[in-house]
Amino acid sequence: MNRESFVPPSAGVSRQNGVRYLCASCAAQVSLTKGEPVRCKECGHRVLYKERSRRVIQFEAR
Amino acid sequence: MESLLQPQYRGKSLTDPVNTLEDKWNLLPAFLRVKGLVKQHLDSFNYFIETDIKKILAANQVILSDVDPQFYLKYLDIRVARPTRQDANEFDTSITPHECRLRDLTYAAPILVDVEYTKGSEVIVRRGVEIGRMPLMLRSSLCVLSGHERDEVAMARMNECPLDPGGYFIVNGTEKVILIQEQLSKNRILVEAERELVQASVTSSTHERKSKSYVVAKVGDGRCYLKHNSLSEDVPIVIALKAAGLATDLEIMELVCGTSHKYQELFSINFEECAKLGVRTQQEALTYLGQRVRGGRYQYGTTRLSPVEEGMEALAQTIVAHIAVDREHADYREKALYLALMARRVVQTLHDPQKVDDRDYVGNKRLELAGQLMSLLFEDLFKTFNSQFRQSIDKSLKKPNRAQAFDALFSMSFGGSHITSGLNRAISTGNWSLKRFKMERAGVTHLLSRLSYISALGMMTRISSQFEKSRKVSGPRALQPSQFGMLCLSDTPEGEACGLVKNLALMTHITTDVEEEPVLRACASLGMEPIQLVDARTLTDPKVATVYLNGTPVGVTHLPKMFLARFRHLRRAERIYEFVSVWRNDHQNSIQIATDGGRVCRPLIIVQDGVPLLTPNQIERLKNEELSFDDFLRLGVVEYLDCNEENDSLIALKEDLVTTQHTHLEIEPFTVLGAVAGLIPYPHHNQSPRNTYQCAMGKQAIGVIARNQFTRIDTLLYAMVYPQQPMVKTKTIELVQYDQLPAGQNATVAVMSYSGYDIEDALVLNKSSIDRGFGRCQVFKKATTTLKRYANQQTDRLEGFRMDEDMNPISTHAALGTDGLAEVGERLENGQVYINKAVPVQPEPNQNQQVQVDDSDFRETPMSYRAPEAAYVDKVMLSTNEKDLPLIKVLLRQTRRPELGDKFSSRHGQKGVCGIIVKQEDMPFSDHGVCPDIIMNPHGFPSRMTVGKMLELVSGKAGVLSGNLEYGTCFGGSKLSKMSAELIKHGYNYSGKDMLYSGITGEALEAYIFFGPIYYQKLKHMVMDKMHARPRGPRAVLTRQPTEGRSRDGGLRLGEMERDCVVAYGASQLLLERLMLSSDVFDVELCRKCGLLTGTDRWCSICESGEEVEDMKLPYAAKLLFQELMAMNIAPRVSLSE
Repeated sequence: MNRESFVPPSAGVSRQNGVRYLCASCAAQVSLTKGEPVRCKECGHRVLYKERSRRVIQFEAR
Repeated sequence: MESLLQPQYRGKSLTDPVNTLEDKWNLLPAFLRVKGLVKQHLDSFNYFIETDIKKILAANQVILSDVDPQFYLKYLDIRVARPTRQDANEFDTSITPHECRLRDLTYAAPILVDVEYTKGSEVIVRRGVEIGRMPLMLRSSLCVLSGHERDEVAMARMNECPLDPGGYFIVNGTEKVILIQEQLSKNRILVEAERELVQASVTSSTHERKSKSYVVAKVGDGRCYLKHNSLSEDVPIVIALKAAGLATDLEIMELVCGTSHKYQELFSINFEECAKLGVRTQQEALTYLGQRVRGGRYQYGTTRLSPVEEGMEALAQTIVAHIAVDREHADYREKALYLALMARRVVQTLHDPQKVDDRDYVGNKRLELAGQLMSLLFEDLFKTFNSQFRQSIDKSLKKPNRAQAFDALFSMSFGGSHITSGLNRAISTGNWSLKRFKMERAGVTHLLSRLSYISALGMMTRISSQFEKSRKVSGPRALQPSQFGMLCLSDTPEGEACGLVKNLALMTHITTDVEEEPVLRACASLGMEPIQLVDARTLTDPKVATVYLNGTPVGVTHLPKMFLARFRHLRRAERIYEFVSVWRNDHQNSIQIATDGGRVCRPLIIVQDGVPLLTPNQIERLKNEELSFDDFLRLGVVEYLDCNEENDSLIALKEDLVTTQHTHLEIEPFTVLGAVAGLIPYPHHNQSPRNTYQCAMGKQAIGVIARNQFTRIDTLLYAMVYPQQPMVKTKTIELVQYDQLPAGQNATVAVMSYSGYDIEDALVLNKSSIDRGFGRCQVFKKATTTLKRYANQQTDRLEGFRMDEDMNPISTHAALGTDGLAEVGERLENGQVYINKAVPVQPEPNQNQQVQVDDSDFRETPMSYRAPEAAYVDKVMLSTNEKDLPLIKVLLRQTRRPELGDKFSSRHGQKGVCGIIVKQEDMPFSDHGVCPDIIMNPHGFPSRMTVGKMLELVSGKAGVLSGNLEYGTCFGGSKLSKMSAELIKHGYNYSGKDMLYSGITGEALEAYIFFGPIYYQKLKHMVMDKMHARPRGPRAVLTRQPTEGRSRDGGLRLGEMERDCVVAYGASQLLLERLMLSSDVFDVELCRKCGLLTGTDRWCSICESGEEVEDMKLPYAAKLLFQELMAMNIAPRVSLSE
């Protein structure tokens, strides 16, 4: 395990905004940073789903 | 011929209107709207939270303190509120079941009490104090779903499936069902003959105690004894009766034997025995009884009771405990009558062994439902809660010089978790252990199986028996004639639980307790003479019928027939609750009335004077929803009969069979089957075991499990990609709405041989059909984790992804996002991480001491994907659980197309695996260009006799051609002749056979092929989950032999029997290679002189020489054995020879 190559999550580029989640109740976008309580900022609902990745994903159709 | 000439034929005259009730089955959906299937669970649970819980409170109302006599606490009321969320800082506390499933919460509602208590000298009333949380049954009256069952929009808003049956609990996010428990009925006399012994037993059950009393006698002896656990010795029955206040021998003789000389002769020896023992008076009898009571009782812990008092106490309290005794007047007459009755039954059975009761008879059984079990549990927990509460009050009151007056409520809030955790634990583990009744039952609850909609529904109707599975008796397992219409004939598992686990039929209801008092009053007004006023002679008079209420004699009537008719009339007029049953027992010359809960019953149409009371007009109004099922009860057209009352009735199966003799008409005969067996088309044409097999397999079929299946995050979920409703439906399918949540597809089947890959039930699949989506399914798997918090305020945390030199994520972290969770939609290969969790290395160095957090203090514990085939991340959910800790659930998805070895089955217990997948070009085809999806080998038919499958094919084909869905309802459905006519109309052969051309040669096949659609289910057993092989792999640490099982990448075992074959063949080198060289070979050094294992330094420390040390190979397990033996002071010496 290469300790030097390890990038702690807080040091990531996209970290400023946190990772984006969607509220299961009101569908509002919630961005959470480390240590924040898991909760929708609009409606207070406590179930959040991670937003779909923006990376290109290739499917094999068969 | 002569009967035709009579003015009345079969009770009908020439001018009577022909009453066609073809649509009488419409009563069935109306019934299912108010009762049936899961409604019994709901009714039972509703009864508990609305009525029974208040009764329990009333029985434990006041708490007093030994310390302060001034103190009291009184419960005024108890109620269960609506379900709430328990999170802090919440403005909307209402919660949906779906949120509980997602967040691993318990779907529960607070239990609130109103209390009145003293604080110092003032009396305080406090309302709405929470004493715990009650897990709620889904769709029960307090559930948020109740009232919205039919409102699809509201259900969708709550993320709930409108077709979900409900009736289960959600505890810590898992769905738990309390199965229906089958038991022998309580408080009834049951006579059994076991070899030489005849015994009448009664299990008394009241809220206070449960006990079992017996009256026993030996065959050919006639001496009867009272037997009870609390008696150290069997007491002669005459002494017991005398103790209970029957003064004269004549009265005893009259009560037990009546005027029958045969009985008198048999019984008279008992008086002799009593006289020999010198017992003449009640006093003497009580003394005799009291001396034999086990474990002397102490009144108020001080004085020991005298034998007479002891005897009175035993009679009043323990023996036949459910008969109440007026202790103030020392009136034991009712108890005496009951004991005499038990003796009478024994004497009758001694005389005629035919008069035993059948304990397998459904009428002698009671079904215990969730509500009853919950109420037992709650009562127990509430009592311990109260005693703990009382102890803490005592402790506080004992303290001298309190600054403030003691507030009892303060200590109440402490014990709050006892009830909550007790209820939760019992439901989630299934262990019902109640100290008070010495009840210890495991496996009461089960995880609701969500393999398919049908498996969930089938679980709600399942009945488990209390009988031991290992006992080799056929009686409890056999199909009882009395099960007809009450329990499903087909749906039972194969193997050890066969016949012990049963299922309810479609149109059954399980009763709840009804008050006895009004029924007793009704009996009195129907001319019943109360039992207290009746002399012994009348009781056994053959012209007088005794009236029993719940197994206890309450009176006599001289006009039993009229009594019965009028009682039933009152019930039909809704003056008596509809579930009270009344029936006549001719053997005992009695009228039995039952009001107790747990009886199975079913509705039937009443027939009067050979005419069913139901009219076509009423059915028309039912269809227009002007009438509901309960209206039919009120109109006296339909009534509920339990199993015993059914025996008093003559029930016509079909309307044209009704005669003047008949009392009832079946609503629909197909209701003899349950919900699961109801899926089979034409089951009445199948060999019966085939229907049973299908009942097991229907639950494994992949389909749609619920409308909210994609919003649920189940541990394992199978979903079919293109489900279809069956071409050949049944009425049951529509009633249970299987057509809306189907599990299967209509495959075009050619019944013919093709290649050699279709032997032993293997199927040939069309590759193009698979490409088009036949049998395609998705598999969802859940992974879940919580980020724990430790005592020193350290927590688990998520790490990001690690990079390589080029600043790209390393391959195992490729799917991760910056939050350490896999990105949604990302493809996961074997070994890739999807939750990169890290835990503190030292979670608890110093309690409560804040520790500097450093990266090196964390150890990575990633969750990585392990499977041969890749999966996609479907969902990543973040939430918090009950302890407010972060909860992460990741849902992984695989799409699977059918492959070689996947299991399929039709709806007739005909399962098979895919043997070969053939290109469509090579498949046979018809002159219309139709090509089969499946080729099935015709050898599957002759021995299995599943004619229903053939009929399904013909009906399905006719349906396809005419564009209709056909019916294969049991005892009905589309007629074969009509289907054949339909085929002919469309230019097909009437028998469903087609001319096909070979796909390989293009020539016409020599035979006509039976060809058409059959509904096929894909079963959950798929090769991908089972395939396993290993060349070399992991070994167990202890023995160094290969590990066991697929999940541990284990080896394939050459077992004992395989070894025997190799030994018998004499292939010793193969044996050596398989059992040692390829397994756990180990190099050892052995001293030839002493024969013991040495170290590895070529030196025998025992012989103190290195001369005769030899190298050899040994299985590591053998070396281990030798060392273990040496540890036990046994020297295993090996002698070597050439």
